[in-house]
Amino acid sequence: MNATTTAAGLVLPTAGEGSHFPPTPGDFWQPLFAIPGTEYYFTRPMLLMAIATGLLMVALFVTTRRAAIVPGKGQWLTEQVYNFARNGIARDMIGSKDFMPFVPFLFSLFVFILLNNVFGIIPPFQNPTMARIGFPIGLTLIVYVVYHWVGLRKAGGLGAYIGGMLPAGLPGWIKPFILFLELITFFITRPLTLALRLFGNMFAGHMLLVVFIVGGWYLFKTFEPGLMLVALPAWILGALLTVFEALIQFLQAYVFTLLAASYIGGALADEH
Amino acid sequence: MSGDITLLGYGVSTIGPAIAVGLIFAAYINGVARQPEAQGKLQPIAILGFALAEALAIFGLVLFFIAFFVG
Amino acid sequence: MDYTTIVAGALKAATEEDHSEPIGAGEGAIPILPYMPELIFGLIVFGIFYFFVKRKIVPNLEKAYADRTSAIEGGMERAEKAEAEAAAAKKKYEDQLGEARAEAAQIRERAKEQGAQIIAEMREQAQVEANRITETAHKQVEAERQQAFVQLRGEVGQISTALASKIVGESLEDEARQRGIVDRFLADLESGAIEPEQLGAHDEVR
Repeated sequence: MNATTTAAGLVLPTAGEGSHFPPTPGDFWQPLFAIPGTEYYFTRPMLLMAIATGLLMVALFVTTRRAAIVPGKGQWLTEQVYNFARNGIARDMIGSKDFMPFVPFLFSLFVFILLNNVFGIIPPFQNPTMARIGFPIGLTLIVYVVYHWVGLRKAGGLGAYIGGMLPAGLPGWIKPFILFLELITFFITRPLTLALRLFGNMFAGHMLLVVFIVGGWYLFKTFEPGLMLVALPAWILGALLTVFEALIQFLQAYVFTLLAASYIGGALADEH
Repeated sequence: MSGDITLLGYGVSTIGPAIAVGLIFAAYINGVARQPEAQGKLQPIAILGFALAEALAIFGLVLFFIAFFVG
Repeated sequence: MDYTTIVAGALKAATEEDHSEPIGAGEGAIPILPYMPELIFGLIVFGIFYFFVKRKIVPNLEKAYADRTSAIEGGMERAEKAEAEAAAAKKKYEDQLGEARAEAAQIRERAKEQGAQIIAEMREQAQVEANRITETAHKQVEAERQQAFVQLRGEVGQISTALASKIVGESLEDEARQRGIVDRFLADLESGAIEPEQLGAHDEVR
């Protein structure tokens, strides 16, 4: 386990064992208290996710409780987000015929991931929940089950479903290979990338922020004029990266929902 | 200076997806510049392509983690 | 390190029985292996959130959309209805106005007629009255003339008698037949039996 023996760790002798610099994947392990009777812990990301969900539920409920024909400010905002998920993602990817049953699912996915991601740069929380792989895997499992179930129901049987994965008009000899690739795509690549993309982006983005902001702090703490001068650009870059991170957080929520919708749409399509 | 070669490996492995993502968005921008009304159609396709190209970088990240922590 | 070794290592790490800590726990855990409590907690929380959104949020929003659509359509319908009503009311008022105008013209006409009638009546009455007055005046004048004539006849008789008596030298007053003479003379005078020219010629001769 030589995570701390990176280049930066050698440059800064003050950041030794026990400090948060340079950041390691272990920094994302933040247990709060042990769950009684088990060997498991209740972790900080779990608490953050509960807070985010509670906030979302309250905000959504308050703004849509008396959904009026002429919307107020809050309702208007909720409607914008809802419209984005409903028309921009669900309807575009699934098609206007049968997108409606999936709108609650995709809308929940989008706002849920979005707020949990944005928690990565909101001061009191500052920890993207999705940087713990368990959460993206949970969401991906749901998407995985939904799109396979929808596809099976649409095809009417396992054989027809698998056969439907093959593009039409292929010469016979190539079919097994393509089928093999399609099977890998459907059952392995898709869920794997879906979960890992969200996790990887949140994880790496947060680490980058920690590197620049905490790193700047360690440079500043040396009280050597040269290093203190370097701390300033580090912080400016940290601020810029925070803005960039906000963009990434939104984009990842969008991509996750878009891909989920596209998988569902692909499973529902008449022709592959 | 010491370190782990897997870190370098992951860095190298991101070059391919980086170029791919750049090409995808270059094509997207070209398309929108030529036909601004097609933006709505092109955007999801560009994002999908971006996601697929990014999958390669994600595989690199996975292998890096496995090699780094297990190997 | 080849790929199979890596995968084998990952599988070993994932399934190792004598792991000191649960998968994904601790600072040294592989970041891409899930911590089970987090996975399950995430599933439960998202499930709760999904059902909340499905039950409480989406129906409200979709209802607002439907209401909005129907409100726009209904608003157009209402506007059309109001327009028709306004047109009907305008037509009604115009009709009423026309009626009122016709009525006013009628009344004016009647008033004019009545006025003319009244004037005619008044004129007639005035004519009658004037006629009556004229007639009365005529009658009176006639009566006075008659009276004057009678009086004059008496006086003329007396005077002529007196004159004749003076001329004749004898009184003729007492004689009844003398009266008859005067009467006869006057009657002759009236009827023109006596030629006034003779007297006149006589006067001129003289």
